[in-house]
Amino acid sequence: MKNTYVSIFKMQFKGELQYRAKAISGIATQFFWGIMYIYLYMAFMSSDTIDGFTITQMASYIWLGQAFFALRYPGMHKDAGYEITNGNICYKFTRPINLYNQWYTEYLGEKLASTLLRFLPIIIISILLPTKYSLSMPANFTAFILFLISLIIGGLLCVAISMYSVYLTFITLSPKGTTTIVATIANLLGGAIIPIPLMPTSIQSILNFLPFRYISDLPFRIYIGNIGISDGLVQIAISIVWLIIIIVSGKLLIKNALKKTIIQGG
Amino acid sequence: MTKIIEFKDICKEFKIPEKRKGKWSTFLNFFKRKYRIINALQNVSFSIDEGDIVGYIGPNGAGKSTTIKIMSGILTPTKGECIINGYTPWKNRKEYVKNIGVVFGQRSQLWWDVPIVDSFELLKDIYKIKDSDYKETLDLLNKALNLDELLSRPLRQLSLGQKMKCELAASLLHRPKILFLDEPTIGLDAVTKLAVRDFIKYINKVWHTTIILTTHDMNDIEALTNKIILIGKGKILYNGSFDTIKNKYANEKIIQVEFAKAYENISLNGYELISHDKNVAVFKTLENTEFHTKSFINDISKNYDIIDFSVNSLSVDEILARLYKEYELQEK
Repeated sequence: MKNTYVSIFKMQFKGELQYRAKAISGIATQFFWGIMYIYLYMAFMSSDTIDGFTITQMASYIWLGQAFFALRYPGMHKDAGYEITNGNICYKFTRPINLYNQWYTEYLGEKLASTLLRFLPIIIISILLPTKYSLSMPANFTAFILFLISLIIGGLLCVAISMYSVYLTFITLSPKGTTTIVATIANLLGGAIIPIPLMPTSIQSILNFLPFRYISDLPFRIYIGNIGISDGLVQIAISIVWLIIIIVSGKLLIKNALKKTIIQGG
Repeated sequence: MTKIIEFKDICKEFKIPEKRKGKWSTFLNFFKRKYRIINALQNVSFSIDEGDIVGYIGPNGAGKSTTIKIMSGILTPTKGECIINGYTPWKNRKEYVKNIGVVFGQRSQLWWDVPIVDSFELLKDIYKIKDSDYKETLDLLNKALNLDELLSRPLRQLSLGQKMKCELAASLLHRPKILFLDEPTIGLDAVTKLAVRDFIKYINKVWHTTIILTTHDMNDIEALTNKIILIGKGKILYNGSFDTIKNKYANEKIIQVEFAKAYENISLNGYELISHDKNVAVFKTLENTEFHTKSFINDISKNYDIIDFSVNSLSVDEILARLYKEYELQEK
């Protein structure tokens, strides 16, 4: 007898591994976006550094964002939205299992599988690029370890934020609309569109109070050394608090939504 | 026999937005919605014995699926009590659903892109089924449904009938005490239908599973059970044996007559003329009269020259249509 959630996770993993073309085209897309973003921000960064954020650091920040795109993009599990709108969710009700946990595990499985399929080629190619555009080595070994820890927390946080899309889908019945809104908010406020170090200081101080930057901004900045070790540790602790708050509130919201759910049709 | 399902005065209301009509309707609807209350179930009460197969029938929109959904813990009724296997389905959902299996004929519970056997194994872990039990159950299901070659294929490659077999097996892996089947034979060909029916009977026999099924195919009911619950417009209309209903209409006969030549006007005392086309006419016996072949021939050959005739009873579908019609008339 294995743990139920481990099995659900494995299942998603297996499902995702079946789509090789999806992974290959994903790598190509991420690579294209990476180059585009780097050129774009190079054009804006007239001097070589902005508040201590150098062009090389910017390039690394962008490449990490592309390599771990699947892990940091708060979308929705491919079946979840579909299940809610067409009523197939009724089968989930008939299982002795918590629905939030099940969706969470499913989406985490899908995200991890698609990350593992994509990140390595992007990392390797981006390291091999000319220095100015390339992904540089981590600031130091401790920073690298903290990067890994905060990346894992960031991934968990990203899935927890995605669960808000699932909740909103219960109300709007439009998975595409809700994911677009949630993802845009999270991406914009989390530094996934414009790197947070490039934003005005006043906006930065607001964003520091929000949970979104702990998805990818924190791990990437620890990696490039823009955030130091002791500061990084404090922020990792804050991100754990956010993770708990978002999971608990999401659970309550979904529990409430399930109570009101009506499944129509035969 | 112990009662395993008790339904007491269950009501379910749905609130649905109503569209206005007229020039500015879409605009107005956008700002202020009007709602209409639909009573999907009104004071529904019944009980079912352990180990029974019960057919739950009714026309489209009668409330069958709503009842099944309440019984399987998906919907919370507006009012009423329901005890199934000692639990209230919507209150102790997680505990309760361990002992039930559900198949919705129009939906799928298996994963689309992985082999069926992987779906089964995930269900095994979700229900925490012991390895030995799982193997034994799967062997049995395998034998009864011939799943062997299907198990290694993903759901998307299966035909409708193969899918239904796998769905049935999936809902029984944890050997539920109660099985809810919502239109399990929908869209199946004759051979698969027979196989599914045999399988349902078999499961009921070997595991003593209580089975509640909804269907529009009255042959399903005839093949499986004599116990039916008839629901219409959210109310229980009949709860009892199917034979009683059949007997009620047993006297009614349809007689098709072929004449030697075409007649203009045909009428026959004591019979109702249903249709008439050239030299073929169809009669029906009047209510509360019995059909006698001899007197029929005597009567009809007095005025007409007949070649051949055939006498038929109402088919199960016709009986059901009659029943629906009858109850609808009573309501008005």
